Amino acid sequence: MVEIKNLTKYYGQKAAVKNISFTIEDHEILGFLGPNGAGKSTTLNMICGVIPSSSGTVTINGFDIAKDPIRAKRCIGFLPEIPPVYPDMKVKEYLTFVAGLKGVPSVKRKAQAAKAMDRLRITDVANRLIRNLSKGYRQRVGFAQALLGDPDILILDEPTVGLDPEQLMEVRNLILELKQDHTVILSSHILSEISAVCDRVVIISKGEIRAVDTIDNLEQRADTNPILHLKVRGTSQDVAAAMRQVDGVVNVSNISRFKTGIYTYDVELTGSDIRNPLLAALLVKKFDVLEVQEQKKNLEQVFVKLVNQSGESQRSSLQELLEELAAEEASSEPQTDADAEDDATNTD
Amino acid sequence: MFSLYKKELQSYFLSPAAYAVLAFFTLTFSLTMIMDISNATDLYEFSFTSLFYVNLFYLAILFPVLTMRSFAEERKNGTEVLLLSSPISVTKIVMAKFLATATVFFIMLVVSLYYPMITALNGHVILANLICTYIGFYLFGLVCIALGILISSFTESIILSIVMSEAAMILLLLVDNIANYTFFSNIPVLSDLLHWLSNQQKFITFSNGYMQISDLFAYLTEIAVFLILTIISVEKRRWSRR
Repeated sequence: MVEIKNLTKYYGQKAAVKNISFTIEDHEILGFLGPNGAGKSTTLNMICGVIPSSSGTVTINGFDIAKDPIRAKRCIGFLPEIPPVYPDMKVKEYLTFVAGLKGVPSVKRKAQAAKAMDRLRITDVANRLIRNLSKGYRQRVGFAQALLGDPDILILDEPTVGLDPEQLMEVRNLILELKQDHTVILSSHILSEISAVCDRVVIISKGEIRAVDTIDNLEQRADTNPILHLKVRGTSQDVAAAMRQVDGVVNVSNISRFKTGIYTYDVELTGSDIRNPLLAALLVKKFDVLEVQEQKKNLEQVFVKLVNQSGESQRSSLQELLEELAAEEASSEPQTDADAEDDATNTD
Repeated sequence: MFSLYKKELQSYFLSPAAYAVLAFFTLTFSLTMIMDISNATDLYEFSFTSLFYVNLFYLAILFPVLTMRSFAEERKNGTEVLLLSSPISVTKIVMAKFLATATVFFIMLVVSLYYPMITALNGHVILANLICTYIGFYLFGLVCIALGILISSFTESIILSIVMSEAAMILLLLVDNIANYTFFSNIPVLSDLLHWLSNQQKFITFSNGYMQISDLFAYLTEIAVFLILTIISVEKRRWSRR
């Protein structure tokens, strides 16, 4: 278990991480999500004891990282942003060395290195110089390094950077597999990354925690208002008016000209079951529907909104946040709607 | 700590650095030897003492090549994070690096033993002088290594590290000359301080076959001071890194 209490880091006058607290339970995958420069790496480096905190404490399995760094660090496997590999060494050599560095007894080093290589599927490059490896392989060598010494807690700073889609899947599966006997903290600025594997998410922006919630809650909440992406032949005013008359249509927005007489619309519905009535209404009025695409109000958008908010108030749950966002959206929508329509008439 | 020491030592011999330094040291040592022998007359007697004295200056040029990488490259590769997140203290990291470089220097000295051995077979070697010269030479070398590692911990640029180390090591040797300036030697406290720091004088005492506790202690103190400063420098960077 990792407990983080009131962790703060100042670089000179500038606060990189402001007073953040959260707890990571055993056998949990915690996602650490935030845009570049949000303080993710700083926080992870503090948890691993690479950099000391300005104030606050990190306790790893009961050992304070500042007071008992050696024993605390024994519980951690860390994959930093840049894989910490020596270009002059061979993969096998490097992993055996790191195993030694982490205090693995010399008889077990080779076996552990072999096991880690096997898990990351890098056994085929075991005897190659790290200098000659591609980015994806280096990343995986860095990951293998974190597994050595059988640490309880794995801290992975953007573990999938530089991997191709197939390797990405493998690494994701590996993380899920590791969950059985490890606690994993995973950072990323890509949401789909986090949503694929994490149980819980900490969203951080400008050094402050914006939300701590489970991915299920996040998704449920985010899914409630589906958006239909329509391409319809007909004048934009008539089509928009026809769509607005249908019960359950919350909003028609983002009207733009595809080509003469054909426009695209984003229609927000109260639920997916409104789709058929909407299409029926359009067809009855003899509008030619060329394309229908259901676009979920995805996590990405929610995330972007969360991190962009001017964050004075700290919210405890994502729900509150999302409600606030919805309210904001509703008030700003008619404006854009009108603008779009203006544009449409001009081009006509 | 041992695995880090082993890796450091290995990495010296995985790159051309150690070989180049070893070769260059053997070259300068051999050349000064040849010159000294050919210069020997009735008035000027060949001795290993003067040979090592000349080579003291070549050390100052050679060692930055060995020490330049120790911390500068860790930082450049991003492997410093690995060391700092491993269950090993900064003191041990610094010691492992120092001992690895000291081992390379030891190998250099073992290679140089070749000449005294040949001389002993065909002539006469004053053993007391030779042993003390070796001890003095090794200790001064260790001072240079400690200083080089310290400077390497200041920067992530290898070039900057090498240039600064060269300057610092030459300065370390020239403290004697500075101390002998009348301008400085007239100021009482400063003069004492400079004389205490003068490394050449200590080496000369060693090479005359005397091992003074004060000199031994002074060299060891210098090594310890530079290593402690390195530990502080690495720790300091931990606090200010981003």
